[in-house]
Amino acid sequence: MTLKGGATSACAACKYQRRKCIPECLLAPYFPADQTKVFQNAHKLFGVSNIVKILRSLDPSQHAEAMRSIKYQANVRDRFPVYGCLGVIRQLYYQIQMLEEEMHSVLTQLEMYRQHHHHQQQQQQHQHQHQISSMADDVISQLELGMAPSNNALPLFNQVTHQPYTMQNTYSSSDIDSPPKDNVENNSLWIQHLFLDTNNHGTSNNDSPIAIQSQLLVPNSEPLADTQHQVVQDYDEIHPFFDSIDDRQSYIDTKDAEDSSRAKCSSEESLKETTQLMVGNVGSKDLKSAAACFSLTSVN
Amino acid sequence: MSSSGYSSSPCAACKFLRRKCMPDCIFAPYFPPEEPQKFANVHKIFGASNVSKLLNEVPTFQREDAVNSLAYEAEARLKDPVYGCVGAISVLQRQVITLQRELDATNANLFRYAYNEMPPLRPPQPPPPSAAGQSSGFCYPYQWNDPSDEDNERSSGGNM
Repeated sequence: MTLKGGATSACAACKYQRRKCIPECLLAPYFPADQTKVFQNAHKLFGVSNIVKILRSLDPSQHAEAMRSIKYQANVRDRFPVYGCLGVIRQLYYQIQMLEEEMHSVLTQLEMYRQHHHHQQQQQQHQHQHQISSMADDVISQLELGMAPSNNALPLFNQVTHQPYTMQNTYSSSDIDSPPKDNVENNSLWIQHLFLDTNNHGTSNNDSPIAIQSQLLVPNSEPLADTQHQVVQDYDEIHPFFDSIDDRQSYIDTKDAEDSSRAKCSSEESLKETTQLMVGNVGSKDLKSAAACFSLTSVN
Repeated sequence: MSSSGYSSSPCAACKFLRRKCMPDCIFAPYFPPEEPQKFANVHKIFGASNVSKLLNEVPTFQREDAVNSLAYEAEARLKDPVYGCVGAISVLQRQVITLQRELDATNANLFRYAYNEMPPLRPPQPPPPSAAGQSSGFCYPYQWNDPSDEDNERSSGGNM
């Protein structure tokens, strides 16, 4: 198409159609003269008339966007003659599916790590609490047992039960210098002594407090059974002591002895109950709870 | 219209074009008479002659796929005269970009958590849609460049 006195050249559409490109040419803004291939693709797919038909059905403000999409669609069809834009869409769908699957697997892994981390933290907390509770139990049990007779006793054991040790020495089975008082506290000390004494008889002197504790914890064990008998026996040994205190107040003493005997009987029963509590059906908690009755309050 | 010797009905294309459906009709295998709207859409957007030319350039075993893709694009263009099927491509491409960013962030988080035992970070928020450089915010995913034509590099309409 020859140009007539104009500096402007025909658009690619008019050039292809070999017609005069008028100023009102609808396709001129979108197909410059230098974009022949683009126009050829669009013309091959849609055709000029169909493109013009589409543009005329739209608002002028939408022409630019519509032409962009038309040219894009035509170029894709030129590159992919069979599937065109549908192939691109399918590829994108596949890409999205792969990304979603990968995201799912990554999130699953992340959740596993989170749970693992959470479990580790919980385990650490439990271990820490268990350590604290076991340490506390050890201290309590050591305090309840009093001093250990062996040289292998723990330092803590010796430090805490220093006073009870001296007091219990006065209640050795061989020598009774001071009258035992008819109160629970002294009886508790005496029982503690019995336990220790029994253990000394039954075991070597090198027993650790832990071994003593383990013997205490075992139900119906020989040391405990022996202790039960010894409670009665040693208790009987105290009676002559009361009788030898004072002759002047014999009546009073006898009366006191009767009273004391009654009290001792009751206390003996309570002691028996206590030992029975200690002997039968024991876990460490029962022993400790029973021993708690005679615990630190008696250690002064 | 079908001839008297014909037992088979004309295809949708020949019925629409009101012409004799020949045995070697290129449209007959792909535009059955039971689907008249399919050819109507394709003819309205692309034109029968263009479709015929396109099918002749494609191997026979791929013609059915080509027709189906053309039918899809025609239907999309009728529903959305401005963007057609390119609108769906734009939406899907944005989705891909967003998912890829999220995946990258999650992978980085996983790596950080697994190897450093640090608490995982929150995923980054998706970026707001930017309209810079594009009048409509439209995203054309496929870059088309004509290797034989340098004009496309200079022209503004060719950058897609």
